[in-house]
Amino acid sequence: MRAPETAGDGGRAEAIAAEVVQVPAALRDGTYVVIAAYNEARMIGQVVRELVAAFPHVIVVDDGSSDATGPEACAGGAIVLTHMINRGQGASLQTGITYAVSQGAQYVVTFDADGQHRPSDVPTLLAPIAAGEVDICLGSRFLGHEHEIPPARRMVLRAAVLFTWLTSGMRLTDAHNGLRAFSHRAAAKLDMRLDRMAHASEIVDQVRATDLPYKEIPVSIRYTEYSLAKGQRSGAAFRIAFDYLIGKVTR
Amino acid sequence: MNAFQVLVLALLALLTLFTVRGVFRGQMRKRIAVFWTLVWGGSAGVLIWPDSTVRVARLLGIGRGADLLLYCSVLAMLVGFFYVYIRFRRMDRQLTLLVRELAIRNPSLPPPSGAER
Repeated sequence: MRAPETAGDGGRAEAIAAEVVQVPAALRDGTYVVIAAYNEARMIGQVVRELVAAFPHVIVVDDGSSDATGPEACAGGAIVLTHMINRGQGASLQTGITYAVSQGAQYVVTFDADGQHRPSDVPTLLAPIAAGEVDICLGSRFLGHEHEIPPARRMVLRAAVLFTWLTSGMRLTDAHNGLRAFSHRAAAKLDMRLDRMAHASEIVDQVRATDLPYKEIPVSIRYTEYSLAKGQRSGAAFRIAFDYLIGKVTR
Repeated sequence: MNAFQVLVLALLALLTLFTVRGVFRGQMRKRIAVFWTLVWGGSAGVLIWPDSTVRVARLLGIGRGADLLLYCSVLAMLVGFFYVYIRFRRMDRQLTLLVRELAIRNPSLPPPSGAER
């Protein structure tokens, strides 16, 4: 018999090593980090705490969670916006971005709730924007150290890259990375209408539509058992593609 | 006239009545009421003179009147589904905007101690 893999539900998911990130003060105060979270109570507090240490403005959009995601995020130091009912990740990100822009954010960063991104990658993404080089930085796990991406996931992500290339004409190395950074004017132009996961392709379309310069930046991903379990099943890709194509036709 | 015809004619008469009443009560726009009255009237006509469909079917190159009706109803259903789907998507979108507005109006701010650490 194998040892039980998860001992009860009381403990946190695997601990992720806390990182201390040094950020210049100008970046620190102007940056709003937006996280969409749906039933992420186990990890969200830790993710927020780690981020807040470097960026004081963290916005968590609690997308109608049935667990304690909202209170956990709030206790961790995030501003929590609550969707009364579940509207999907795209809708949640747009809620957070709209709020951040209204609060005068100079930079808006989107970040995943499950702890797969590293806060230390955020300043790397912000640097070219702060330098006035580009308006949008998209994280790419394939530009960086490609290690540790499970093969099945890698295939699906590669297919997503091809799909994005075919539908939007943008040749990215990683179309579906949740870590992105926007300048104020780029964030203000975003208007995502696809509520569910198809927003990842939609964002790429909009990046193109804004005509603002963008750039891909290598980032690393921490694949943990938790983040893989929370992530999209590979089969969902077809539904997402359908959602996206219908959205293009019926706008 | 057989029992089926009588029953359905009565039903169609009732539907026409409801349609007209809807206009008088201001619950239905005139253009839509005219559309439905035509649908009910057409159905009644086909019901009273079933052979009329054969002529129309022949005209369109379809063998039987019953086939014509079947094709028409399938087509109407498809159009109907599409219409409902578009409506559904629009409502879904409006719901998101509403939920977003409510979320943005009531942010929960973190406890003061949580910010500095």
